[in-house]
Amino acid sequence: MIRTEELLLNVGPQHPSTHGVFRIIVKLDGEVIKEAIPVMGYLHRGTEKLAENLNYTQIIPYTDRMDYVSAMTSNYVLCHAVETLMGLEIPERADFMRLIVMELQRVASHLVWWGTYLLDIGAMSPFLYAFRDREIIIDLFNELCGARLTYNYMRVGGVKWDAPEGWIDKVREFIPYMETKLVEYDNLVSGNEIFLARIKNVGQYDAQTAIDYGLSGANLRCTGVDWDLRKVKPYSLYNRFEFDVPLGKRGDCFDRYLIRLEEIRQSLRILKQAVEQFPSSGDTMGKVPRVIRPPAGEVYVSIESPRGEIGCHIVSKGKAEPYRLKFRRPSFVNLQILPKLLVGETMTNLITILGGIDIVVGEVDC
Amino acid sequence: MSEEQDKDKELLGKQKDDSVKAESSTAEKAEAAASQALDPEKGSSASVPGQPDQQEAKAAGDERILPESGEAHEQSVVSEQPAANPEREAKLKAAAEARAARAELKVSAATPSQQQSDAPAEEGSSPAVNPEREAKMKAAAEARAARAAAKAAAEGGEPAAAPGDAVGSDPEREAKQKAAAEARAARAAAKAASEAAEAPAEPKPPSPKQPQLDETVELVRSLISEQAVEEAYINELNDHMPIIVVGRDHWQATANLLRTHDRLQYGYLRNVSGIDFETHMEVVYHLVSIETKRELAVKLRADREAPSVPSATPVWATANWNEREIYDLLGVDFPGHPDMRRIMMPDEWVGHPLRKDYEPLDPEV
Amino acid sequence: MKGLLKGLGVTLKSMTAKKITTSYPDEPFVMPDRFRGIQHFIPDQCIVCNQCARVCPTECITLTGKPNPDPEKKGKVIETFDINFEICILCDLCTEVCPTEAIVMTNNFELASYSRDDLYMDINWLDSNNKNVRKDNNNIGAPQAGKGGAKKDV
Repeated sequence: MIRTEELLLNVGPQHPSTHGVFRIIVKLDGEVIKEAIPVMGYLHRGTEKLAENLNYTQIIPYTDRMDYVSAMTSNYVLCHAVETLMGLEIPERADFMRLIVMELQRVASHLVWWGTYLLDIGAMSPFLYAFRDREIIIDLFNELCGARLTYNYMRVGGVKWDAPEGWIDKVREFIPYMETKLVEYDNLVSGNEIFLARIKNVGQYDAQTAIDYGLSGANLRCTGVDWDLRKVKPYSLYNRFEFDVPLGKRGDCFDRYLIRLEEIRQSLRILKQAVEQFPSSGDTMGKVPRVIRPPAGEVYVSIESPRGEIGCHIVSKGKAEPYRLKFRRPSFVNLQILPKLLVGETMTNLITILGGIDIVVGEVDC
Repeated sequence: MSEEQDKDKELLGKQKDDSVKAESSTAEKAEAAASQALDPEKGSSASVPGQPDQQEAKAAGDERILPESGEAHEQSVVSEQPAANPEREAKLKAAAEARAARAELKVSAATPSQQQSDAPAEEGSSPAVNPEREAKMKAAAEARAARAAAKAAAEGGEPAAAPGDAVGSDPEREAKQKAAAEARAARAAAKAASEAAEAPAEPKPPSPKQPQLDETVELVRSLISEQAVEEAYINELNDHMPIIVVGRDHWQATANLLRTHDRLQYGYLRNVSGIDFETHMEVVYHLVSIETKRELAVKLRADREAPSVPSATPVWATANWNEREIYDLLGVDFPGHPDMRRIMMPDEWVGHPLRKDYEPLDPEV
Repeated sequence: MKGLLKGLGVTLKSMTAKKITTSYPDEPFVMPDRFRGIQHFIPDQCIVCNQCARVCPTECITLTGKPNPDPEKKGKVIETFDINFEICILCDLCTEVCPTEAIVMTNNFELASYSRDDLYMDINWLDSNNKNVRKDNNNIGAPQAGKGGAKKDV
């Protein structure tokens, strides 16, 4: 007799497409998903607990390792929170360096996302093209601060290193190069019929659901909600530059894909303006006391990282260490919608949807 | 209070043979200490100018409970002077008088032996190098007496506050505190009545988000309950974010109101944080409204033994995993949550790691 | 079909483009000067101030000093200095706070070994690790004599 049974499948902790050690327990009926239960915590390193014994400069290397694909924004959110709490002024050149670095990081992070997303879907060449271009950015960072992935670059009050000779010119040359590459990537992938058949109308949700679930970044903007923290609550020097915020209409994976590619283009636009307006001289660190001791109080700031809204909530008791440091991680919050989206989908669409949310498990677990 | 007296006695008695200056200074310090203990909410000595602005802000209608500074008792002296003219001279004079009254009060209230040691201290200080100090001490004693008398007047003649009784047992201290509270109210009234602010201490300009906070508080209070909002204040450091502290019993209704009301519409829950203060637990919800771009932070307090806060998941689905994380790491229970399980730690883990008193079973980890 | 053909066009174009693959490990990979590699330690310059051990976020530096054997001079002289490279994250904070630049980074990054014990480096190894020493050390965390402004310490 033929009968069907429900199958319990583990989409592994070790799986090439889960973007890290992340596990989804999936109950299948044939190939259709009945229920999906995400299990995380495999990469939980206790950053928040460790931070209670370290002073703020020592926590900065830990923030690098939280969202390792976009470490500059993680660095920045911590520095920005402490600076808001202390009321510090940042010199203009340091702020420009921070902004340039963060926008370059956004381009790099979206390239990683693009390459790995297409690799998950099945295309092998975009991965290498993306990483080839990302190498250029990583080399720029290597020259600037001495590391390729975990920069430890920002400090409370400014940045650690100033731009070396010729670095700004290299950034300036990179921008048109990347723009031509973006055109190539569009030609390569965005018109591809197989790709469109796999991506369109997959993982769709509407604006109210997105706001309910607290999604941010491209996941929120793909439904048409105009909420980009660089425009709504400008931090650093973003209100000096002109750029657009791409919005989607349908709220499916294809919209998220297009939005992220367009965000690379807008980041290049910001970079072009920033490099033009870069001050020729200035300090890289503001007037900061020797021991960073913020006054007692609490603060919550958030910025727009490539994945969404990353926030930092600090409760300080006036000592050099924070009393409680909590990171609002976008990947963690964005992932909540996954069980809801996966009901009724096939296994192939699981990978597509999971990749479209753009998570980094180091951030999910913190 | 008696310990203070004993301490004074010891200090004074011990140093009876020492140099006069040391004696007078010690006595003065002991006096200051005694005066501080006398009125716990009053801070340092009266002659400190430029009091923190918090007093003004408090009087101006902010509802945060803050420890008072030394201006308080100066103000109380001011309010006693019906001439509502807060000029510095008058105040300083009043302060000096208050201080003298205080010193006298202390001296007069002491036990005979102490009086004896005090008296030589007083007298011994008269040939002191610094006659001003002696005058100050006397003025302080007088001031204290005047203050106690004023308090007695404010209270309506409660015998405990009679000038002859500087030492306080607990009920007396309570009475004094009540008197202080009344004096505070009187002071606030006097201040509200008199326009001019004190020259060195200007009131803080009202925060730009104050109207938003007031509106939110008023709506919650009127539509939910009077006790729903326990405290409401503005966090100036954090870009003037309004913060309200809500009682646990009213949280479900308040959450619904915050989300659905036309004037509020805080539809986007950004962040839920749990904080372990050693005396209690706190859960903070950071909200923002997409339409009006306004922010709000809501705090809920829970006690430490069995902390529980009603879950906000039915209202904002974002709270789901955030609350699971707080449960996992801090142990705060959220009744009403659809799926209360551990999220970061393995399911069989014992203990809540982010608590301040967490002892890992395996110290190597 | 059209999309597929356009994609194929891009692929064919890149077949003839310049290759960017490097032949590491046959050719050594040259890192820029600021690269944070394994540390190099100069015992003569160390004044045993302990700042590096204090600032290390993972507490991987252990050091002991002994009083200066020369009775004329004051201060301490370094006796042992160990870095546990199992947990060192090469974050560069130790060089940032060293007032005398006794500990600096090099551009070496090859430290792979077959046994964990090899990763616990002592003072002699660190002293001899002096190839490719980084020139620009930027120790903004150390007390800056006579310089105003950018001062920061742990």
